[in-house]
Amino acid sequence: MSFIVRQISRTAEGREIIRPREFDQEVLTVGRDTASDIHLADLAVTLNHATIRQLGPDRIRVATEKDLPFTVNGRTTSAMEIPVAGGAEIRFGSHRLMVSRDPEGGAGLIRIDVERVEALSDASEAKDEAKVFSLAGKMPSKRAVAWGTVIVVLLVFLAWPILTAFQSQGVKDRGHGFHADQTWTAGPLSLAHKTLETNCQACHQKPFVAVRDDSCLACHAGVHDHGDPRRLAVAKAAPAGFDKIEIAFKGAFNIPEGRCVDCHLEHEGATRMPPARQKFCADCHGSLSTRLTDTEISDAADFGTAHPQFRPAVAVNFDGPSPIIRRVSLDQQPKEDNGLKFPHAMHLSTTNGVAQMVRTMSGEQNWGQSLQCKDCHTPDANGAGFRPVTMEQNCQMCHDLAFDKVDGTIRTLRHGDPRQVVAELRSYYGSHGVARPPILGGMGRRIPGQGAAATAAADYYLAVGHSGGADAAIAKVFSPGGACYDCHMINRATNPYTLNFEVHPVRLPQRYFKLGWFDHRAHETESCESCHSAKKSNSATDVMLPGIATCRSCHGGESAHVQVPSSCAMCHDYHRGDGAPFATRTGNGSTSGGEPVANRGGMSATGRADPSPVTRVTGGRRAAG
Amino acid sequence: MATRQLSRSALAGGTNHEGFLRHRNFRWLKIAGGLCLVSIVAYLLIDQKPHPNGGSAYGYTLGTIGALLILWLTMLGLRKRAMTRGRWSLKAWTSAHVYLGLSLIIVATLHTGFHFGWNVHTLAYVLMMIVILSGMYGITVYAALPRFLSNNREETTQTQMLDTLRSLDRQLHDAAQPLDAGAAELVRRSLEDNPFGGGLWQRLSGNYPKCPTRIAQLELRRMARGMRSSVGADPLEKVDMLLERKESALTLIRQHLRYKALLEVWLYIHIPVTFALIAALAAHIISVFFYW
Repeated sequence: MSFIVRQISRTAEGREIIRPREFDQEVLTVGRDTASDIHLADLAVTLNHATIRQLGPDRIRVATEKDLPFTVNGRTTSAMEIPVAGGAEIRFGSHRLMVSRDPEGGAGLIRIDVERVEALSDASEAKDEAKVFSLAGKMPSKRAVAWGTVIVVLLVFLAWPILTAFQSQGVKDRGHGFHADQTWTAGPLSLAHKTLETNCQACHQKPFVAVRDDSCLACHAGVHDHGDPRRLAVAKAAPAGFDKIEIAFKGAFNIPEGRCVDCHLEHEGATRMPPARQKFCADCHGSLSTRLTDTEISDAADFGTAHPQFRPAVAVNFDGPSPIIRRVSLDQQPKEDNGLKFPHAMHLSTTNGVAQMVRTMSGEQNWGQSLQCKDCHTPDANGAGFRPVTMEQNCQMCHDLAFDKVDGTIRTLRHGDPRQVVAELRSYYGSHGVARPPILGGMGRRIPGQGAAATAAADYYLAVGHSGGADAAIAKVFSPGGACYDCHMINRATNPYTLNFEVHPVRLPQRYFKLGWFDHRAHETESCESCHSAKKSNSATDVMLPGIATCRSCHGGESAHVQVPSSCAMCHDYHRGDGAPFATRTGNGSTSGGEPVANRGGMSATGRADPSPVTRVTGGRRAAG
Repeated sequence: MATRQLSRSALAGGTNHEGFLRHRNFRWLKIAGGLCLVSIVAYLLIDQKPHPNGGSAYGYTLGTIGALLILWLTMLGLRKRAMTRGRWSLKAWTSAHVYLGLSLIIVATLHTGFHFGWNVHTLAYVLMMIVILSGMYGITVYAALPRFLSNNREETTQTQMLDTLRSLDRQLHDAAQPLDAGAAELVRRSLEDNPFGGGLWQRLSGNYPKCPTRIAQLELRRMARGMRSSVGADPLEKVDMLLERKESALTLIRQHLRYKALLEVWLYIHIPVTFALIAALAAHIISVFFYW
């Protein structure tokens, strides 16, 4: 006997069933063919796969047909001699052949245990049904992904920014580039604060402490107070309703009232900073008079519905050297005592002599067919108001003060200096004395006889007698029909027989509203006449300001459905300076988002002074004769 | 007492199944709808200047409601492990989970005041929206797919499907014994193929373009065309028939797997992203008060 082949199979319980078969031959055939000595029902095995030849008592040679591979002790080969003594494991497909010397048989008997070690098919292998029918294994585990993302999010968006925040404390400028706490931004900063975009710590100085005014004051050092803090405290209305709850919440979270950021909101987008809401003003000003009983400020809450009539500062009495300025409601039709005689209607007429004169001078002055407002009123540098009207710039081209011509040069009386006028006139008449006829003396030849001399003498004295006209001319220039009198109020001194004339000083208002602001440039689409009825004004005392009703045809309160919803900040400044209010300066006055007006003067913090005074008083000098 | 409770619940359950979407005549839909309506009306009435934002009083209110809702909704993960009946039944809880979860779309969006940016706040919002959208997908497939799933199974269980396949494999294995090496190799590949193989995309699409069973069948048919002898007795014929049966069994299993994958896949987004959301929400809340 040479070989004993034991086919081993297992029951479902794992018990072995061994079917031994003995062969007394030198060569065994291995294959899927049922006629093979070792039949392997294995599709990975060919019908006649291999032969096992005994070479000696302890040696076999395994060789496959056509170099088909198999493994011996884990090594792949297609033919190999194998010593039996040590045993060997040969794999054909899913079958394992264990070769060994049969312990019970005699020498030269080789035992081959044949067993299927792999399942018949993949599906036949044991499967965890709950797992294979689900997506488990096809997707990363839910738990792993959940914890992984939790850790990543907490590290990147919480731990790292907190670390950065502590590292940045007290740093003035962190420079450009990315800082982890920027992932916490609640939105872009306003344009004015754009440079702080990478410096969160500039405002957020202490963790869990809401932004304090100190952060703002670090840069905005010169901000005006709104008023006396004691009076402000009295003026403040007691909170009610939701405000009460809000204040209670703020108190609980250590947020003081009245911080800068209550009005100046940040992280609202990379635009100009939005102005304070109307509510912030109306809270106190809506019923100010009930608390601050001695105030001169009228109550106002909403421009469209609760705002008093305008009260321009007008000169109500100008008898003395300087006017008495008083705020008078436009409803009372105030009269402006400005010291001038100037009928607007006459100057703007299209049919009268003025118009005729304008037409004759239109080429030289770049005028039209009649005078227009712009011919005299020139916008000032920022366009909000107008340059002062002056005699030299705006009147003299027509109202000229020429009185003499010397070799083609015209001599004019000096405007604004009555003494000089008197001196000029006297000088004029003094230097133009009558030449003495030669007949009245001297060495010159003369007509014989006395008759001619007598006639010449009579003529001469007559001429000299009439040439003393300086006084008359001076009197004339300061009297009705005279150059000064036409436009100015002339006070003749108490003694009418002296030439003690006095030109009443002139006060032309530059701004009627000290507490409000009006920007002419923002209204350039309107005609002048739509607000100022100059064409109907026959007296310089007319205050041609439009009333609130005119403004309200376009403007209303902050949330009114009108052309231009306007909050208080459009015309009024909380931190009172002389320039344009915050909203107008930053172009944010209109909540409807209109075009920015212009930036006039940067931060209010600089406390920029308006170069134009409210009033300008000129003249008022004596013409001592 | 116990019997009374039992009979009542039996009556309430009844024969007409009431799903969690219709629970108690859409009670939670009404509650969540009311919450949305109140939120929207208040949002429109409160004139927050210059823009509505999460830092206003109303913004904080909505944020608090939203954060508490998110935490409560997450609790379903714990709650679902205990199936109970009654007023606070799991069904009621699930119904509330769905409708209150949907109401977060309104509550949280209004909380943002429509301010979005590249920051932790928007991250939390986006994660929340991903969770809600995946949840909406989940509701949709739960409503539609189980019918397809059971139609496809035709009363067979998953075990039966697997047994059918194993039986076919055994028969194939036996029938393929007489085949030559090339044909046997084709059959072997079919046997070796893992019926649960393929990646996520194949699970979701149900497309298995390199299915060895189909390839084996096509190849064997091509081979048989040249050497057809006695019809019926040919082992190739039998193998071909078995391969066809295996392919149809595989089609059934793969369709089953596809429906199951479509039913399950959203949870692989819904749950991990919920956790990421809670982390982002924590970062959002802490950051807001850290940099107040």
